Amino acid sequence: MTAHLVRILDRVTRVRGVRGAMLVAAEDGLVIAESLMEGVRGNALAALAAALAGRLGRAAAATGVGSATFVHLEAARGALLLVPAGQGVLLVTITDAGVNLGLARLEMLRAVAEVA
Amino acid sequence: MTDDIRALTAELARDPNSLAFLRLAEALRLREQLDAAATVVLAGLERHPDLADAHDLYARILADAGSLDAAREAWERAFALDSRHVGTLKGLAYLAFCDGDLDGALDRLESALGVDPTDESVVQALQTVREEAERRLAEGRLRAGTDIFAGFEGAEHGLLLADRRGLVLGGALRSVAGGDVAEEVAAYVAGAAQEAERTARLLDLGDWSAIVVEGAAGHLHLSAPAPEALLLVKRDRAVPPGRVALLARRAAATARGWLEAQRG
Amino acid sequence: MRRARVIEPWLREPLERFLGETGARLALLMTPAGQVLAQYGFVRAVDVMAAAALGAGIAASTGELARMLEERSFRALNHQSPRHGIFLAQFDSPRGALLALVVYGPDSSIGLVQLFFEELVGDLAQAAPPASRDAPALAADFERDLNGSLATLFR
Repeated sequence: MTAHLVRILDRVTRVRGVRGAMLVAAEDGLVIAESLMEGVRGNALAALAAALAGRLGRAAAATGVGSATFVHLEAARGALLLVPAGQGVLLVTITDAGVNLGLARLEMLRAVAEVA
Repeated sequence: MTDDIRALTAELARDPNSLAFLRLAEALRLREQLDAAATVVLAGLERHPDLADAHDLYARILADAGSLDAAREAWERAFALDSRHVGTLKGLAYLAFCDGDLDGALDRLESALGVDPTDESVVQALQTVREEAERRLAEGRLRAGTDIFAGFEGAEHGLLLADRRGLVLGGALRSVAGGDVAEEVAAYVAGAAQEAERTARLLDLGDWSAIVVEGAAGHLHLSAPAPEALLLVKRDRAVPPGRVALLARRAAATARGWLEAQRG
Repeated sequence: MRRARVIEPWLREPLERFLGETGARLALLMTPAGQVLAQYGFVRAVDVMAAAALGAGIAASTGELARMLEERSFRALNHQSPRHGIFLAQFDSPRGALLALVVYGPDSSIGLVQLFFEELVGDLAQAAPPASRDAPALAADFERDLNGSLATLFR
């Protein structure tokens, strides 16, 4: 089962500029499956991404835009991308600054469809 | 002449000192026979010059006739005689409301409620004044806030400037149903920005510059046009995320200019 | 700023940093024997004593289970309910083995608590002053120390 999930994550990590992808239990902030490059702290990524998703979800609900389908945190040296995968699971991707955002987003949405 | 007026007139004729003049004048006032009502109450006031009820009734007759200045004088005389007279307090509240002094109206009505907590008319009047106060506050906030982004597409419902503590600085944000959600959302985005700052720092991503949320019913773009401020742009799903980002950059430049001006 | 109550000053900064990052609602740092060194969020001394005793008891029980399974030890335990999570972990410090008992709400997560717990352990190791040689505790000394500690923890 885990191998199957990692294969799905590899679709995302194949995109140039992606440093890692993981499936995270959104409520707990714990790793379910991961495919990470050297130097990426998986437990930190999982916990922080889940916390951020929670905060943004509450803000989105208050504005009336509904539940988030894609989140992009843009920063000086990279980005964090989040896509809900259903059943309290988040697909989280961490990237370099120069990543092809459109491609990464597409692969994440396809990956989520396979996880569901 | 109706039976009640006939009866009251007869009672007053039998005893000119009786307080029946109050009921007679009120009956005439309710029938919009204001001149007759005024004549009766003024005659009664000659015999009972210190009766707050009479001054209050005279004030109401004057108010019905549109003579608000004269009504104010009459109610002030009633208030001087009895500062806890509910009718007088209601009357003075009414005048304050007409003058646009909602705080003054609320003060008078709350005093009246303190004297008689069971008076439904006071409760109703309080509700009316409070609703008007809220309406004017929302309108004022909207007018003041949207001025920052005047001319921007969607300024009145989808552009919000907040400070890092989660307080609204300007702009406006409305829910799909049209309700004002600016304050609530300002609080949430401040928390989201703190979380973004921590996430980017601990994951060694550097300073965060924007957060984009694609939702089932719309898009959000959150950025920090200045160290002390956050800008949220909200658009419906029909607007592509790239265009929302462009709009956000323009709005951020405007926000920076406004913030600079506030710093003096 | 989340203000913890501590027996020794060096505990304060690392613990308050942990509390700020995790948003924990309650926290205890104690010895495996249940002697409390720091607390946050508790209102009554009797609750601190009860939580410390229960936490130390749970840690001792799981230590025994680990021994039966020929494991060195279980380092951490987590219980989750709809409104709260309880995290109990043993760690080594320059002052010997210590236990941390943390209670968190839905605005935090076990992931965040575990993440910043690792940092707490590191921060405590750096902050601890050189160990002093303490005389063995006598029963009377222990009770006096306990009462003194409770007074400090609820000042």
